[in-house]
Amino acid sequence: MIDFVGKRYWYFLLSAIIIIPGIIFLIVFGLKPGSDFKGGTDMTVHFTPNIEQNQLRQSLTSLGYGDAVIQTTGQGDFILRLPETTTADKQKLTDGLTAATGSNITVRDFASISATVASETARYAIIAVIVAALGILLYITWAFRKMPNPLRWGICAVIALMHDILLVAGIFSILGYFAGVEIDALFITGMLTVAGYSVHDTIVVFDRIRENLTKGISKNFEQVVNYSISQTLARSFNTSLTVLFVLLALFLLGGSTIHYFTLVLLIGVTTGTYSSVCNASQLLVVWENKEWGRFIGIKKSTTVKA
Amino acid sequence: MSRRNNLVLLIIIVIFGITLWVLFPIDSSRLGRDGMRLGLDLVGGVHLVYQADLSGNVSDPQASMDRTLLTIQKRIDAFGVTEPVIQQLGSDRIMVELPGFTDIEAAKSLVEQTGFLEFREIERNTAGKLAYLSDYLSENVTGYVDGTKAGNRLFVDMSSGANKYGELVAIMTLTDKGLVFTSSNGTVIDRASLKNYSSTSSWIPARGDDGTALTGAFLSDAQPNVNSTTSQPEIDIKWNDIGAIIFDQIAARLHNPAGTGGAYSLEYALGIVLDNNLLSAPQMTSASYGGKGTISGSFTVSEAQDLANLLKSGSLPMPLIKPPIYEESVSATLGTDSLSSSLRAGLIGIALVMLFMIAYYQSLGVVAVAALLVYGALSLTIFKLIPITLTLPGIAGFIISVGMAVDANVLIFERMKEEMKLGRTLEAGVLEGFRRAWPSIRDSNVSTFITCIILYWFGNTFGAFMVKGFALTLFLGVAVSMFSAIVVTRTFLTALIRTNFAKRLLIGSVK
Repeated sequence: MIDFVGKRYWYFLLSAIIIIPGIIFLIVFGLKPGSDFKGGTDMTVHFTPNIEQNQLRQSLTSLGYGDAVIQTTGQGDFILRLPETTTADKQKLTDGLTAATGSNITVRDFASISATVASETARYAIIAVIVAALGILLYITWAFRKMPNPLRWGICAVIALMHDILLVAGIFSILGYFAGVEIDALFITGMLTVAGYSVHDTIVVFDRIRENLTKGISKNFEQVVNYSISQTLARSFNTSLTVLFVLLALFLLGGSTIHYFTLVLLIGVTTGTYSSVCNASQLLVVWENKEWGRFIGIKKSTTVKA
Repeated sequence: MSRRNNLVLLIIIVIFGITLWVLFPIDSSRLGRDGMRLGLDLVGGVHLVYQADLSGNVSDPQASMDRTLLTIQKRIDAFGVTEPVIQQLGSDRIMVELPGFTDIEAAKSLVEQTGFLEFREIERNTAGKLAYLSDYLSENVTGYVDGTKAGNRLFVDMSSGANKYGELVAIMTLTDKGLVFTSSNGTVIDRASLKNYSSTSSWIPARGDDGTALTGAFLSDAQPNVNSTTSQPEIDIKWNDIGAIIFDQIAARLHNPAGTGGAYSLEYALGIVLDNNLLSAPQMTSASYGGKGTISGSFTVSEAQDLANLLKSGSLPMPLIKPPIYEESVSATLGTDSLSSSLRAGLIGIALVMLFMIAYYQSLGVVAVAALLVYGALSLTIFKLIPITLTLPGIAGFIISVGMAVDANVLIFERMKEEMKLGRTLEAGVLEGFRRAWPSIRDSNVSTFITCIILYWFGNTFGAFMVKGFALTLFLGVAVSMFSAIVVTRTFLTALIRTNFAKRLLIGSVK
């Protein structure tokens, strides 16, 4: 049997190593808000015959859109992110681009979001994430109400959830800094789905711990937890694999609209499985043994190493 | 037990048959539904969100919103857009979705037109003389020429050249600060700039004897037509009972005593005004019209058709602020591309899941795959019949729910293996596996339900059809997957155990 619980601090350390760079990026650079959250215009355009991105960049600059962000899609289209654009401006821009590139332009998608709606969306997104975390905390506390300290189970599951959310957010902060990847309403949707999946996974392990505790297979809490993780290990891996299969297919072959959305889910499902197997239940043990002193000690020694 | 299982098996097979009948061919019309309903991002279309302007005198905002939604609905129906969505967001916003309609400018003008039709006559002073803008241009004038007639005064361009005929020059309103001239969007106009128009007439609302102003609200019908003598497109209108009475009261007062042969004079004109612009000012030639009339003007045939539609649908009780706070148009080609690439990706993903299940769980995996087929057909049937609008993220939500549907099977199979390692028979293993895996399946899926509900709320607050689509399909997908794992997989297994051949295979795959 693999020793999941005894080596718990190694698993925590691994999590920290993976998460900390993202957190640093989050604090220093934050996430790059897309039009959904700051307002503006997104335009997906197609040129016949195709043109190079450089040529498009030059044409946009000559038309006074030097700040425009250009992204390419798998289908040879370009997504232009512009400041809020009126109908008249849009017409001038498309006419100007046709004249400057000598290539026929087709607007495949045009979306313009006002700053008011954008700031509301951002506010609702934050509310949605908080309500989801609270809802899950309350639900788990209720589901484990027959255990001693039911709130403890909820808090440990939510910490594991935060771990997954922070990792995804951190990676998107890094992607935003280096590749200009912006976050939109679908990003928030992906984050909440990851939260749901992470807890879904954690609950399966928690359920087994509860069952084994009720059966009284051992008086030692650590042993019960380790045994429960081992029993549910095959299930954790197989389920994650099946979900990852479909996500990978969608990520590699699906439409460009949901490309980054599926990336959020891919990362989230992977880390969600890791945190359910290697973090959530171990936190229960740490709490049960009141190891907070040692916990802090370990953290100190790792910072010294780093 | 075995007889009951046979019955359930039969029901499942029948349901599966029905779902296949409903689903295929994909665009078939079944049980009153035509094909899958696809979202804007897949078929192309226009998505608009407007802020309503409640700053005016709107006494009951919710009633006005309801009427606005209804009016927009009628206009869009007259245009023949299939399955439009017109919905209120929050307290003062309106969302309009027009699938398959990709001309965003036409869509905007269709929705934005206030469509306020009213009838006006020329103001007269106490001596009975016609009033002009020149009567009001002096700063010393502090009230209306005819103080007994309520309502603002309209001044429109009456010069015949340059296609300017009928365009609004200024609206004059009596306020606490005296007479104020404004344009149609409320911008104040300086008196000095109006000098060129001093000879334009002052139009006041035409009212019946009890003071009711005649507006488009009293119309019962409007049909485009072509005038037989002038060959000009025009619109035939019919008044409702009250409108007919008011119209005749006005005609009795205004009509030219000389009848049809009389010379044109603004004295006898009834101004037809749409959104503050004069369409035409025909002569009233008779004292009684019997509830019918004609709106003439310089329209093209299609303009006359649009105007007739607009008049039939009625005016908006309040203006919508332009431009919309959210607007999006997706071309049909982008939609088709996304649909086909995502469907292909989804099929490949699902095929991988099935292959994995069979490779890892062998004959048990085959059972899971069979259950998965029932699950997939049932979910899609529900989507088609409710109907759920499928968006790209919605399809992703469904495909992800397939991955998660397998989870219930995995939980059960792993549990069965454990139970049989403890020395139970296959029959007992199946029974225990299901019994013990159920709390985990139930508890774990509740967390997904919680996030789906929050996501739906989040998407609904600002009309994000993609977020809502995802939340809906994932929720329904997971809900159906719980049913399929518990009922379908269990029924299949229980039936198979009774045949020796299948039983040997199953025992083999569990060990």
